[in-house]
Amino acid sequence: MLKIILRHASLLILTLFVLSFFSFSLAYLFPGDPLVNLTGIRGSSEQEYALLAEQYAMHSSFIVQYWQYVMHLFSGNWGLSFSSGLPLAEEISRSLAASVELSAYALIFSFLIGLPLGFLSGLRHHKFTDFTLLTASVIGYSIPVFWAALIAILIFSIQLGWFPLSGRISLLYDVPFETGFILIDILLSDLPDKEFAFQDALRHLVLPSVSIAIVTCTIVLRITRRSIVEVMSSEYIQAAYARGLSPRQVFLRHGVKNALIPILPLLVMQFTTLLTNAMIVETIFSWPGIGNGLIQAIYQRDFPAIRAGMLAVSALVLTFTITIDMVIQIFDPAGRRPENATS
Amino acid sequence: MLVSQRHASCFIPVTVILTVMLTLMGCSPENTHYQQPNGIIYCSEGNPASFNPQLDTSGTTVDVSSHQIYDRLLDFDLITGEIIPGLASSWITSTDGLTYTFQLRKNIVFHSTSYFAPTRTFDADDVIFSFNRWRDKNHPYHEVSGGRYPYINSVGLGDLISDIKRINRYRVEITLVRPESSFLANLATDFSIILSAEYADQLAKADTPELIDTHPIGTGPFKFNSFRQDRYVRFDAHPLYWRERSTTEQLIFDITPSSSLRLAKLMTGECDSMAFPTHSQLDIIRKRKELTLDEKPGLNVGFWAFNTAKAPFGNPEVRRALAMAIDKNALMEAIYFGSAIPATSIIPPSSWAFQPDTRSSTYNPLGAAKLLRENGVEEGFSMTIWAMPVERAYNPNAMKMAELMQRYLRDVGIDANIVSYEWSTFRARLNQGLHDSVLIGWSADNGDPDNFFRPLLTCSAIDSGTNRARWCSKEYDKLIDQALTYTNQEDRAYFYSKAIEMINDEMPLMPIAHAFRYQAYRDDLTGIEINPYGGIQFRNVSKP
Amino acid sequence: MPRLNLYQEEYYPSPIQNTWKEFKENHAALLSLYCVIFFIFLMIFGPFLAPYDPLQQNIDLLLVPPAWDNNGDISYLFGTDGLGRDMLSRIIYGCRMTFGISLVLVIISMLVGVALGAMAGMSKGLRSSVVNHLLDSIMAIPTLLIAIIIIAIVGTGLVNSMWAISLALIPQFIHQTRDIVRQKMKKEYVLAAQLDGAGKIHIFFNSILPNMAEMLVVQVTLALSVAILDISALGFLNLGAQAPSPELGALLSEGLTTAYVAPWNIALPGAAIFFMMMSINLVGDGLRSALRYRLLR
Repeated sequence: MLKIILRHASLLILTLFVLSFFSFSLAYLFPGDPLVNLTGIRGSSEQEYALLAEQYAMHSSFIVQYWQYVMHLFSGNWGLSFSSGLPLAEEISRSLAASVELSAYALIFSFLIGLPLGFLSGLRHHKFTDFTLLTASVIGYSIPVFWAALIAILIFSIQLGWFPLSGRISLLYDVPFETGFILIDILLSDLPDKEFAFQDALRHLVLPSVSIAIVTCTIVLRITRRSIVEVMSSEYIQAAYARGLSPRQVFLRHGVKNALIPILPLLVMQFTTLLTNAMIVETIFSWPGIGNGLIQAIYQRDFPAIRAGMLAVSALVLTFTITIDMVIQIFDPAGRRPENATS
Repeated sequence: MLVSQRHASCFIPVTVILTVMLTLMGCSPENTHYQQPNGIIYCSEGNPASFNPQLDTSGTTVDVSSHQIYDRLLDFDLITGEIIPGLASSWITSTDGLTYTFQLRKNIVFHSTSYFAPTRTFDADDVIFSFNRWRDKNHPYHEVSGGRYPYINSVGLGDLISDIKRINRYRVEITLVRPESSFLANLATDFSIILSAEYADQLAKADTPELIDTHPIGTGPFKFNSFRQDRYVRFDAHPLYWRERSTTEQLIFDITPSSSLRLAKLMTGECDSMAFPTHSQLDIIRKRKELTLDEKPGLNVGFWAFNTAKAPFGNPEVRRALAMAIDKNALMEAIYFGSAIPATSIIPPSSWAFQPDTRSSTYNPLGAAKLLRENGVEEGFSMTIWAMPVERAYNPNAMKMAELMQRYLRDVGIDANIVSYEWSTFRARLNQGLHDSVLIGWSADNGDPDNFFRPLLTCSAIDSGTNRARWCSKEYDKLIDQALTYTNQEDRAYFYSKAIEMINDEMPLMPIAHAFRYQAYRDDLTGIEINPYGGIQFRNVSKP
Repeated sequence: MPRLNLYQEEYYPSPIQNTWKEFKENHAALLSLYCVIFFIFLMIFGPFLAPYDPLQQNIDLLLVPPAWDNNGDISYLFGTDGLGRDMLSRIIYGCRMTFGISLVLVIISMLVGVALGAMAGMSKGLRSSVVNHLLDSIMAIPTLLIAIIIIAIVGTGLVNSMWAISLALIPQFIHQTRDIVRQKMKKEYVLAAQLDGAGKIHIFFNSILPNMAEMLVVQVTLALSVAILDISALGFLNLGAQAPSPELGALLSEGLTTAYVAPWNIALPGAAIFFMMMSINLVGDGLRSALRYRLLR
């Protein structure tokens, strides 16, 4: 087990270094003065510029500069944004929390709907229910996520007026920033009308997370269905029936566990797809997440923000993937892939 | 196979019901028991460049700050346009028109926020500080935040005032170098705000003077709370405001550059009022029963300005030819959807200086092509049209207008490229004169025609940045200055008509349209009025 | 040696014919195949079918509703947009662009990915192990994210977005090819060929590739649907195709400004993308089940 942890940890560190190196060299690849791209401070006087150059070791070799940059990253200095002039580390942590919150709720939602439906479909394999669910899943899978969000807004927000279409919470509530997860922040704060604020935030969450969840729901459905079909046709299930267990007992005692466990990693990996879809949908719902921030930064050519956002998102996704992979390999020996390349 | 009908079939409906319940918990039918906190949300179209309208002429900055945070010595009555008392309760003009004495109100309290607590009420020191800051180049605060006061410089207010004296704590005397009939009107514009001298001292001691414009203090109905770029500006009510105001406790400017998103938010109730409905949206707003649309003819003009400092646009024949190449009536329909009238000069018909029989350019592509070739502009000549990325009352969609104009110019053999940037970047680059031509316009700050003629085309307005054509003509300047020496409207109108003729001959800019001004808001909002002379006012606006 | 053909009707279908037979029985998949063929037809003959020029603005006819609405006009079947351009022509050209570009991208990524994957699969040693691990990490990142990051670096525009998506699709092909090649390398017929003295390239093209062909086709349909989604997503975010290009995602983004007066400006392009993706997904699904059943029998 130690070997697994070590291997994954080294892979993670290696990848993070590659990413940070890439982010650092972008400061040179982007147009403009590299020091300005690194720090985000424009229009500084001669003295300030010289001071910054010292701090970032601009006169030494490339490798030393890179090392300084990494040191700055660790100490929390991710530079300033060109357009807002605020420190990027804080902005990015807020936006990242917002996107992760949205994706997390969407993931929960797609599990809540996708898992039961997947079970149902697998159990009624090749029957009518199965076919309808499969058709529904293909439709759901083919809908472009941004179109789904737009149609949802047109119907549920504008026509019916059930849900709001922008932001995380009505601006009239000034929720102080603690964790970045708004539902938790509301509960932690001391606003006078907490329940209304909480309700308001929930209303704002529904449309975005449902639009994102549609696609993932269908994927969860298919994966679960396939797994259950495989499990239910295996021999130990047949043996259970032979022992006289009722279908419900078979399903609950053996079916669910054995179907879920092998696919759990696959299901959790959907988080990365969710995060990407969330990034697109954020622009439609004006959700203040990392996707919206990154895309705005691209429009406004805000190089420090682009570099920092890119680093943050890829680091998050890669850390998540490698960690999940490591956890799988620790807990499920059957899931271990063959070591290395040769055979 | 192995499956049978009774598989845990209640487990699934239960989960589905649970999820649906959780979702529905979030939605409540039409806000029956759902109480929103007391406040008004206004969907604004962009970021303010600063919280001091004197530093900028952009409508966005003015809307956010001028009537919310600050007061002026005098104000305009929104209905009649007359000048009414503001922070000055009365005033006397000397017979020679050179000296004005203002009596100031007592017991007016400045804002108290997390960064400032006033220890005295408003008095003459604040007035003197506010005026001297832009008037006196050696004033310690003059260069703070850039040192440019575009509107004030473009009307020459700094050179007009020769002295300001404090008579006593509540009386101030202002002396001019020459009589000027538009002086009082200029004191009532959005830009003649009064700042707090005490706050300025506090900041100067802490060596952070620029905070006076980014964390403002004034006497207005709302005090500044916070600003997040591209997201919102928050204001809290000023409980000790000296005038009567509504019971609104919070005012929020929700910054939403996309106009269709503003309309959507207005329809769902996430905004109580929105800025700049585009003309294609007006019908929808009129049809929806929960929305109201007010309209008033506007004191504005949208125009196409040529950069006369760049060849070949220095040649008036070239400019006239380019104006002839465009079909203005087509632009009326496509861009303004009929909510504007074509402009024959820069003065709108609602102003007393308007001349009904001015001859302006007519659509003549063949004549235009001929005139261009005669003046050395060959086929394939390439020029840029700078188009604003934001909407303004005088031009709701400059990008679309530029696209249409591209086609007309192509018909006369000119290859036009459209250039645009984010709004504050756009204005900064325009000030550097990098453009060949620009689609922009002007909204009046007061009812005086001088407010059109001076900031748009006089020589001094080039430096202050409002003369986008960079046109400088001594005769024109003379005409405009002469018009101010007379107080009789007819006499002044004579000079203005000569100025209009000169503009149409030289064509430094091609006037396009005068647009109606609109205000779109939800029915439950009361007290909102269109201000033809400037920025929006929320003092009297409230929701039940 | 010639087989004794006793019965005229005796017929041993090849594996590909078997797959096709399975596929045909899946009606939904067959229907979608016809849809895909329709889109390909649209792609090639679009310019002849479109009634108007997609870029031509018509000031007098702004925001005309589609023909089935009361105020619609049959000569503008899908109505017009905010600048008076015919929606039907724009959508035809848009399908052409979106579908065509995705096809080109997938083919390019496939060629590069298969080549690299084959090389990776046939090589051994530590070098390939490190590369493999890195590859697996990259594969975990969704293609759209990789594309957005590449666009963030090189700037926006249609050509840049094409490069970005191509690059993002390549790892999938490499991974799949490498796995299959590694698998096939263990088979005896490859061993036989090697013993015969065949070189690596010969083995690949003659022994491995034909057996990979079907998996490759499934992979291609998967990649195609991802490419269509990504291209239109980038067009929608204005990071790829820019206005006034008729690409479907860009059409959606333009339609946003007039969404409440003219909902057909977002409903119709989105529906076009939806149908494209659904037909390709169904074809891919059908192929996959057909393959699975063929392999099972």
